[in-house]
Amino acid sequence: MSRVLVAMSGGVDSSVAAALLTEAGQDVIGVTMKTFCYSDTPSHGKTCCGLDGITDAKRVAAALGIPHYVFDVEEDFTRDVIDDFVSEYAQGRTPNPCVRCNGNTKFRDLMRRGRALGCDHIASGHYVRVHHREGGTSLLRGLDPAKDQSYFLWGLPREILPSLAFPLGKLTKDEVRARAKAFGLVTADKPESQEICFVPTGDYRDLLRRRLGSHPALEAGPIVRASGEVVGEHTGYAGFTVGQRKGLGGGFRESVFVLEIRPETREVVVGTHDELFRDEVQVGEVNWLTDPPLSRAELHVQLRYRAPAVAATVEQTSDGLTLSLTEPQAAVTPGQSAVLFDGDRLLGGGRIVGGGHPGRL
Amino acid sequence: MHHIYLDYAATTPVREEVRAAMAPYLSGVFGNPSSAHRWGREAAEALEQARADAAQALGARPSEVTFVRGGTESDNLALFGWCLAQRSRGESPTLAVSALEHHAVLEAAEWAEEAGLARTVKVGVTAQGRVALDEVRRALATGPTLVSVMWVNNESGMVLPIAEIAELVAASGGTLHSDVAQAVGKVPIDVREVPVDLLSGTGHKIYGPKGTGFLFAREGTPLEPLLHGGGQERGLRPGTQDVAGAVGLATALRLAVAEQKTEGKRLTELRECLEKGLVAELDRIRINAGEARRAPHVLSVGVEGISDGAALVMALDLEGVAVSGGSACTSGSAKASHVMEALYGADDPFATLRFSLGRDTTTEHLQRAIRATVAVVGRMRGA
Repeated sequence: MSRVLVAMSGGVDSSVAAALLTEAGQDVIGVTMKTFCYSDTPSHGKTCCGLDGITDAKRVAAALGIPHYVFDVEEDFTRDVIDDFVSEYAQGRTPNPCVRCNGNTKFRDLMRRGRALGCDHIASGHYVRVHHREGGTSLLRGLDPAKDQSYFLWGLPREILPSLAFPLGKLTKDEVRARAKAFGLVTADKPESQEICFVPTGDYRDLLRRRLGSHPALEAGPIVRASGEVVGEHTGYAGFTVGQRKGLGGGFRESVFVLEIRPETREVVVGTHDELFRDEVQVGEVNWLTDPPLSRAELHVQLRYRAPAVAATVEQTSDGLTLSLTEPQAAVTPGQSAVLFDGDRLLGGGRIVGGGHPGRL
Repeated sequence: MHHIYLDYAATTPVREEVRAAMAPYLSGVFGNPSSAHRWGREAAEALEQARADAAQALGARPSEVTFVRGGTESDNLALFGWCLAQRSRGESPTLAVSALEHHAVLEAAEWAEEAGLARTVKVGVTAQGRVALDEVRRALATGPTLVSVMWVNNESGMVLPIAEIAELVAASGGTLHSDVAQAVGKVPIDVREVPVDLLSGTGHKIYGPKGTGFLFAREGTPLEPLLHGGGQERGLRPGTQDVAGAVGLATALRLAVAEQKTEGKRLTELRECLEKGLVAELDRIRINAGEARRAPHVLSVGVEGISDGAALVMALDLEGVAVSGGSACTSGSAKASHVMEALYGADDPFATLRFSLGRDTTTEHLQRAIRATVAVVGRMRGA
């Protein structure tokens, strides 16, 4: 019997993952990661956003009759995820903290502590499939297209893939809810969490204000057209993301969108929807979960969670990748992920550095 | 798998005599001790008998014992109650707390300073068990000072030199508080012999019920209540008393003190057996506070070559052996315990395992604990 460490957030998905592994007769150990405390005062009010999650996970584990532990990763999480989140916004980019957490914090810590606890496998409630075969292990998209979470996992260290198990990869969300009810789990009817876990209020600018103090990213600056014409004023470029339409104020003849953020001049560049399209994407901090593809390989790239993957030709550059998109795409957003697929197979990805128009040069 | 509990310093089961003593007061004799009628009188009589028993166990007078709802509350009442009393006399008090104190003292003292109630200083303690008496003297010289030094440290088992400190404090006209949560029933405590002013204790570490505690306050020690709303416990701790809890606590206290000598000897022998076994089987380990006087029931071991003390405790749990890292209250936290930091510095490369023994502990349990520890430490060092 193999011993499996399952990451339990206290939500319905990971609860069902733990229940399925237990039902399958595995030696299951539940763990919840304590990622942060959002109270800055040390001596009192130590409410952690994760605490409700920890309580729920403990209750589910107790009902399943499996041990449950809390892994305190607050220090690593603050450094690798929250600090990065703040610094990305300060530089006019739009970070993707879940990708960062999975790749840098969560799965690395699970592996390390899992080994100490004598575990052979690491499991989570992500909707993604894992395919073990002779030549190595690959990750495949979850079968439920509405829930597939492979997009968030491109940053995993490749060497841990053989140790992974994702019991929900072949299930739909409805099936998972039904299993949760059938198991009688206390988390069966818990609503989906949407917001970033360390910004429970949804107001990330408040977090930036607290962590950056006074910073150009939070100060007023000009809204300009691509031509340089000043057309308005904004209250801090950290409040904007490429492709955004709301919050630019009125007075425009047609709908305008954020095209670019220029931190050095605090300019937010706006333009029409047509001006949003890019057919080239520069990607940095690349990570491969397979052997890197050959130069000029024709693959598919997903540029946002829930966006369809689109055809692209991939070329390696000195510091990353250049993707040439077969069809131009709107809102290529620096800081977000470019995730590469071959069919259903997750190949790897990187952070979007910028977009361009090679065809027009 | 048969599970072995070696975490008696975290908490203990309620012993049979205690349960039996409490039973009549849960339903039969249920009156409110403040009521004037028969029901009230019966409850009040039980409560006052419990107070007399508890006082006797400590060498105190019944009027010097206040029943509270736990050790943390008792610590807070001692510190804040004393600070408030000083402030209402127009004084600017000082709290001098040892660096090894439980968070119930340490964080209360920090908060007293934040709230502007007192100036707080932290007094160092060495791994050999020496308290920085110069720092205590300096604090005492500044004016009204409450010195708080625990009798036995919960994480290391170290016995602090309370008699020596008590003499120093008494000679300077200061006030001495001692948290005795881990000391009752483990080392002799008699307030007739040691001139301590305030003692905080709890029921659940001595086979009594959780949620019970006491504060001993020597007659004449100025204290003000933290809660308001009734005259119970001579106004110091308002709220309808938990008669069953008080009876349980007093019974546990009486038995713990009566058995202290024999049980202390037995536990010391067991602890030495555990210590010898671990030292023989494992290299690169350290007995924490090994050169200091130690209480019979705690063995704290530093293990080198393991970066993650929390995982060590979890791995032992999976082997069926329940121990803790620093103390139970800091379990799960990745931060080094404040006690080990005070004794060995912030960069100490040893992870801490605390074994704590109790009434049901046998040599056979310890043999199994040694085997499990050797296996787990070997695996984690290899990883």
